[in-house]
Amino acid sequence: MKELSRWRNWLGSRRLTLLAAFVLFVVGLLVLGARLGDLKPSKGGLELAGKFLGAACQPALGYEAADLPSTTPPFWEKVGRSLVLTLRYAVVAMSIALVGGVVFGILGSRAWWPALNQRSLSGWVLLWVLRTVRIVVRGTATLARSVHELLWALLFLTAVGTSPLAAVLAIALPYGGTLAKVFSELLDEQDASAAGVLRSGGARSSAAFFIGVGVRTFPDLITYALYRLECAVRSSAILGFMGIPTLGYHIATAYEDGHLREIWTYLYVLLAAVIVIDQWGSLVRARLSRPKPAREAGRAEDSVAELRRKRPRSLVLRASVVTALVAVAMGWMTEKQWQSSLPAERRQANFERFLHEVIPHPVRESGNDWSEFGPWLKERIWPRGMVALHRTFHIGTIAILVAGCGALMAVPFAARSLAGRDALGVPGGREHVSGLRAGAGRMLRMTALVMRSIPEYILAFLLLQVFGPTVWPLVLALALHNGGILIRLGSEVVDNRPSRAGQVLVVQGGSRRSSFLGSLLPESFNRFLLLIFYRWETCIREATVLGMLGVLSLGSLIDEANTRLFYDDMILYVLMGALLVFAGDVVSDLLRLRIKGGAIGSGVHSS
Amino acid sequence: MPRVLPVVLLKIDIQLTDAGVSFGGVHALRGVNLSVAEGEQICIIGPSGSGKSTLLGLMNGRLLTATGSVEVLGQDLLQLTARQMRELRCGLVWVPQDLGLVPNLRVLQNVLCGKAGRLGFFGLLRSLLLTRMSEAEEVRNLLERLGIPEKLYERTDTLSGGQQQRVAIARALFQDPVAILADEPVASVDPGRARSLLELLTGVARDEGITLVMSLHHVELAREFFPRLIGLQAGRVVFDQSADETTDRQLRELYATGEE
Repeated sequence: MKELSRWRNWLGSRRLTLLAAFVLFVVGLLVLGARLGDLKPSKGGLELAGKFLGAACQPALGYEAADLPSTTPPFWEKVGRSLVLTLRYAVVAMSIALVGGVVFGILGSRAWWPALNQRSLSGWVLLWVLRTVRIVVRGTATLARSVHELLWALLFLTAVGTSPLAAVLAIALPYGGTLAKVFSELLDEQDASAAGVLRSGGARSSAAFFIGVGVRTFPDLITYALYRLECAVRSSAILGFMGIPTLGYHIATAYEDGHLREIWTYLYVLLAAVIVIDQWGSLVRARLSRPKPAREAGRAEDSVAELRRKRPRSLVLRASVVTALVAVAMGWMTEKQWQSSLPAERRQANFERFLHEVIPHPVRESGNDWSEFGPWLKERIWPRGMVALHRTFHIGTIAILVAGCGALMAVPFAARSLAGRDALGVPGGREHVSGLRAGAGRMLRMTALVMRSIPEYILAFLLLQVFGPTVWPLVLALALHNGGILIRLGSEVVDNRPSRAGQVLVVQGGSRRSSFLGSLLPESFNRFLLLIFYRWETCIREATVLGMLGVLSLGSLIDEANTRLFYDDMILYVLMGALLVFAGDVVSDLLRLRIKGGAIGSGVHSS
Repeated sequence: MPRVLPVVLLKIDIQLTDAGVSFGGVHALRGVNLSVAEGEQICIIGPSGSGKSTLLGLMNGRLLTATGSVEVLGQDLLQLTARQMRELRCGLVWVPQDLGLVPNLRVLQNVLCGKAGRLGFFGLLRSLLLTRMSEAEEVRNLLERLGIPEKLYERTDTLSGGQQQRVAIARALFQDPVAILADEPVASVDPGRARSLLELLTGVARDEGITLVMSLHHVELAREFFPRLIGLQAGRVVFDQSADETTDRQLRELYATGEE
């Protein structure tokens, strides 16, 4: 027994985690055949990169092309329209996803279950019914988000043709699934003490759940939904690469036309939209978690009406609610035609043809003889499918390792509590570099904000033109985007958790670096790991589509099948991708549970 | 020996007869006989794991006894339907250690939640979202009595710990209960605040004639504020007597073999 526990201790140690990460990194590089030498841009790429960066300083303010047909709308109208369209699809999709996410989130949680008497038969039966519902709901939600929104778009577009509805549903499905999962977790982790009090005071389980758990969870739900809205704007933009005229569409066409300055205009507009939503989200979050005191304090002798008049109110929150409602209403109402412009019969026929062609072709051609299915499947999965799947996994994994290492190095410079003059709140005395350091911290946070605001897909698209068709552009795009996110989340971990040990080190004369390495990092190691695993899952998910840009992985197989109109193959590879994401999801969940349980290292307090 | 109460004079609120609970084969509580009369104030003491929370849980049906019977307000808890159980619980208040307030609701709304059982789901929603003037007045009066009327519309989590305790008491009184069951309500507060909470709670309970059953960790506080003490050890009642009768030696023995 003692031997076993020592072994397990060692297994659960940080050393092993780091070793495993390193091994994965090396194996991944070998599998992908990625050499560091490939990171040198080609000559043409370098030239292009130079021109491209030059264009960044002077984004187009009008069309770059000289001879335009007279029917062309003014440049800014075109930009504005594509921005509005991008936002509209994002908002409408989020409104659907939010409703679905809340319903599925509740059904997928345990928190709403009434207290059941398992000794009685009816209680026992009801418990099993509830458990089954929960598993089915969670499975459905996981499946919905295991398929990337670009792939949903691809499926919908092939099945029913280009239409706003297809674009909106492509975003709403996976986002609804994600919201459902997160909401379930929030509900289940919520402190149920208030609900217990209500129930013990005679309230029905429904009321106790709604007020005691639901209301408490509401701020977290809103905060998360705003973050997802920001993601939805990015997703909506990249749907442009599927031919829907959002911002991504114009970026792709501007590139094809060689109008580099126009690309930057669209990119800047997208960045601005994302950053505005990001900042709005932080503001709302701050108001929800730390309400501002009322301008005029109530007095003991005040009447109810007077107290009501003086009650603390938040202009930000009120304005946010109105803005959100108006945006959703506008988003729904300003679209005149959600369906594609094809007549209903054509749509029906297209859909039926799609359903027919999804059936593997040997089966289809032999008159539904499913004995042909096995050989067909084997031929596709081995070796092509498996190689692509393997590569997809490693692209995502290497990217998150790079992002994680980069973020860990950046956090001590980006975290506010370390970048300020007084490290960790300990008065540091005058020094001439403090301004420089604070400035560097601000720059780093800004850079991280920009990095995470650009969609991976667009980053990968641009990097591919510079570095050529190796896996590096994909890895770098994922690493940059996720690095930006990890720097922000990692800094929050350091800032929100005042470290006594770190302060002691600073008070004893230690440097910022030593207090970070000596106490902050080891103390928060598991929280960092949690974050990295959380993003790892999303990296894998993203990796399944980046291949569509033309680098061998599941995405490239899907894209190839699509262009050759082999819908049976396409569905197969989409499903393989979903399976990979599903597996990544489960593994990531298990690892995170283990970390929260304190199996790795020590000193984790999940909150 | 359980104390024999003059039943003819007093109405019995809570009556446990040979009650017992076990979790996974471990007896959390065994052979408990206990009766609490209307308006009585009793305190349950004993080391951690001695079954204090379990005993309180039996009294409002959060736990059901496996042996004997538990009668509350004249009704056998084992015989009640879900609906009857809810009706019964409308007369009982439960105060957990962390008070169980909803932090992001206003004080007014938290207090209104006291009527959650009587109002039903939609009634409660109406009351929270479209509060009537009369309800707000009633809550304000309660808060005034507890010394924090000006906090009526504040968000609950912006209040200090002591003020939040008062909100919890206001919610309890708003429920208009027959009995209050409190599980170590002062376990996580400093001595001064603990004392003021106990003064408030025992005071209002006495004024309103509300039965009060509380479990406490601090033996001194229990002796000071409660006329009757029940000593629990390893799931058994070892004494049930007036605070004056309780000797230091009894208390030493009570905690000597506990898990602490």
